[in-house]
Amino acid sequence: MLKRADTAPATAPADANASREAALSASIGADSSAARGTGRRVRRVGAVLAGAVVVLFIARVVLGSPVVYLDQLAQILAGETVPGLSFIVLEHRLPAASVGAMAGAALGLSGTVFQTLLRNPLASPDVIGVGYGAATAAVTGMLAFGLAGPLLSAVAFAGGLVVALFVYFMADSGKHTGGRFILIGIGVAAMLQAVLNYLLTRTDVRAAGDALHWLVGSLSSSTWERAGTILLSLVVLVPLTALAVSKLKILELGDDAASGLGLDVRRTRAALVVLGVALSACTIAVTGPIAFVAFLAGPLARLLAGRTNFACSAFVGAALVLAADFAGANLFGDISLPAGVITGALGAPFLLWLLVRSNKQGMGG
Amino acid sequence: MAQLTARSLSLGYDKSTIVADLSLELPAGEVTMIVGANGCGKSTLLRGMSRLLKPSGGSVVLDGKDIHAQPAREIAKVLGLLPQTPIAPDGITVRELVGRGRYPHQGWFRRWSSEDDDAVARAMHATGTEELSDRPIDELSGGQRQRVWIAMALAQETDLLLLDEPTTYLDVAHQLEVLDVVADLNRRRNTTVAIVLHDLNLAARYADHLVALKDGEIYAQGHPAAVVTETMVHDVFGMPSRVIPDPVAGTPLVLPIGRNRVVRDINHDENAARAAAGRPTGTLPPVPAAAAAGEGVRPADGDDRQSGGDGVVPAEGAGLRPALEACPTLAYTLTAVAATTLSPSYRRVTFTGEDLAHFGTGGHPLDLRIKLVIPGEGGGVDHFAALRPDGRIADADVTGWYRNWLQIDPAERGWLRTYSIRSFRPAGHPGNMGGHAEIDVDFVLHVKREDGRLVGGPASVWAATAEPGDTITMLGPNANRCGPDYAGIEFRPGSARRILLAGDETAAPAICSILETLPPGMTGNAFIEVPTVDDIQGSFTRSGVSVQWLPRGSNPHGEMLDNAVRSAVAIPAAGAVVAGREPEDIDVDETILWETAGGGNQPFYAWLAGEAGTIKELRRYLVRDAGMNRKQVSFMGYWRRGKSEM
Repeated sequence: MLKRADTAPATAPADANASREAALSASIGADSSAARGTGRRVRRVGAVLAGAVVVLFIARVVLGSPVVYLDQLAQILAGETVPGLSFIVLEHRLPAASVGAMAGAALGLSGTVFQTLLRNPLASPDVIGVGYGAATAAVTGMLAFGLAGPLLSAVAFAGGLVVALFVYFMADSGKHTGGRFILIGIGVAAMLQAVLNYLLTRTDVRAAGDALHWLVGSLSSSTWERAGTILLSLVVLVPLTALAVSKLKILELGDDAASGLGLDVRRTRAALVVLGVALSACTIAVTGPIAFVAFLAGPLARLLAGRTNFACSAFVGAALVLAADFAGANLFGDISLPAGVITGALGAPFLLWLLVRSNKQGMGG
Repeated sequence: MAQLTARSLSLGYDKSTIVADLSLELPAGEVTMIVGANGCGKSTLLRGMSRLLKPSGGSVVLDGKDIHAQPAREIAKVLGLLPQTPIAPDGITVRELVGRGRYPHQGWFRRWSSEDDDAVARAMHATGTEELSDRPIDELSGGQRQRVWIAMALAQETDLLLLDEPTTYLDVAHQLEVLDVVADLNRRRNTTVAIVLHDLNLAARYADHLVALKDGEIYAQGHPAAVVTETMVHDVFGMPSRVIPDPVAGTPLVLPIGRNRVVRDINHDENAARAAAGRPTGTLPPVPAAAAAGEGVRPADGDDRQSGGDGVVPAEGAGLRPALEACPTLAYTLTAVAATTLSPSYRRVTFTGEDLAHFGTGGHPLDLRIKLVIPGEGGGVDHFAALRPDGRIADADVTGWYRNWLQIDPAERGWLRTYSIRSFRPAGHPGNMGGHAEIDVDFVLHVKREDGRLVGGPASVWAATAEPGDTITMLGPNANRCGPDYAGIEFRPGSARRILLAGDETAAPAICSILETLPPGMTGNAFIEVPTVDDIQGSFTRSGVSVQWLPRGSNPHGEMLDNAVRSAVAIPAAGAVVAGREPEDIDVDETILWETAGGGNQPFYAWLAGEAGTIKELRRYLVRDAGMNRKQVSFMGYWRRGKSEM
């Protein structure tokens, strides 16, 4: 299938092998030689994951129909016009891959912030209703006011934040981070789903179809403008996340211990909730809610790296979205499935497996 | 040095107040332990003092400034806290976790420095966690993990460290491990430490300052030896207990007494004998059995008495031995430290004195009788100089002192009166605040006021007017020479598991004292006849013996006691068979009814004491009608109506 496969040996299956290898070596390492090199292992896994993201990114751009060879890609990137390919690469595949990588990274970070903050792997924004809040606000904005771009992001952010704060205060200012928090979130999510369905049934069929497509979570309508929106958000949010992680590391010792170390627990937690919502909302406004990515990225990264690491989570998130989009676009013949369908279909069983596994290890949520 | 003080602090959650108006100062450079029952607010107090909980009233002041008025991070540089259940993040290594203790010393942009490295190394060295530094927390044992958490709190390098139940879920070895680390830290770095601890005994052992909380208020605070008493344990934990000196550390040791107890196989006497065997006896020469076994009142043969009227005056020259070594009975100089009228008929006088260091029989006093010398008019001369612990005594006087004393003019020598020890508290006993041992004697008062003067027996009058500071001489067993078989103790249940204790008001102190020693599993009855309802006193026993106080009122003396004993001890076959032989008659007006037995292997044992006529009747009933073996009963005529004691 590939004429120059040897020069570009990295394909999706190869990457899967690589990560399986990483997981294998990781699990062996955890068993025997203790965690003498947990730091080293995290760096190694991080590097492998970053490599995987790059490979997936390139694969998403070059593979498919038509296939773009690397020399053609170089020409296109150099500014030359390759007939038939330039448009597809520059206006379709490159922005889609860019949006996918950035959205995945943002979702991964968002999910991990929530999961660490609430000390519960189930507490990802898509489970506790934050995703639905953002989506409901965004759909309302789209259908009722025809919003797009940064304004839509702002509306999605506001919707997500309202839900997050509602759940947060319903659960006693975040004091209860276990079952109660999750159940309140699930209840809110169900309510919002009803609102969404109501909105969809009350609008024009074509507009509703667009909204529905968006709701599934897709990269197919990605443009450079949308990529710019996400990039702008990330330029602000990622450094903030990096700063917040040092506080989160103290917060995860427990509220009392964190207070004892001089951390303002309430304010820090509120700031982290806002940050997590912002990371989710800025992507949801652009791509729609891509199911399970925020949920899966953190636990998967922890599985690979042996511990929670935000960079690894971001890489896993990016890799997940890119791989799902690639699979949706290329593996089902003529049918092109949105990334959200793939992550949803593959994510759910993986989630079950993760839960069973984590319960066996006694660290389930 | 950092000083943390709570000023009229009130703490609570939502609307319920847990700690109200509490003031507490943590002594700088000392280890303070906070103890109390579950839910008494001890953890809440610690949370309040460590800024975790905002007070609803009052304030917590750190070095003169309210802790809630200062930035959290500044407080965290001075005040470290280890909460009850900190959470270890997955996969984190020991060194990383300890490193997180440096957080208050870092800013948004000031990152890890060599100073932080040094602090972490010091903290890990102090807690002995260096070898663990690269291990993940989840692999460690509970004790190791707790040490790591303490290391984290240490890396914070604060002058003050508060720990909330640091030993929970740890086995006893790890509990000590953790507390030792904290104690070392206090000694080496002079860190002021406050710990909330469940284990009262460990708290007493490790604390410089102990705070007992009850219902959100300080019940008592101070040195553990002063705070931990049976009363405190009862009031704070709602649990009966014994408090004894910890044989390891000398600190108070609380032995809880539950409702269901393990039955001890060994009876009291054997225990006491064993205790006595372990008691250091010094280099005393072997003594003749007769001398050792005898109580004071013992006619002596021979003509070795001193010139009449002088009592036991040390003979000149040779043949004198220290009384401490030679004489089973010593004369103790006592000073009253308290005198309380318990009821119309009882007045308790608490005596102390350094002489009491030599007093006792090595076991519980039970119904131990002592003699008090009620001074006569003469005074001035000490008739018992040779029997004092520092006295020297001639061999002959060891047994002859009593006869000699009898020769003295009664008006001058005063009166000897026999009493039971109600309780004996050696020095260091938690209920004893003084430096010397204390004894309580409950006097029965038979006095009335005529023309403003007290009229009654000399002992009654003495006791009725006794005030703290009064001195008196007591004759009692010399601990160096008397073991648990001391003749002044008559309660010898042997292996009996069922007992009968009966007596009138003169026997009440002895019965109460005996009841306190009865082991769980012992059953039976105790009957105490007292003059009025007001004379009923609290009696305490762990055993299953049921205690009945019989207020006499206008009934004849002994009638109620007699009836009670008859109802408790049934006549076999309803009297159809002759159960026992008529015991030989004793004229209680002429001789003393004193028939004691004990140490037998019978399942039942009876101990009856009081007015001789009443006891004689009961003796006849128990021996003849109920057919009781006389080896299982002790009958003691403590006094005879109409006759004053000799």
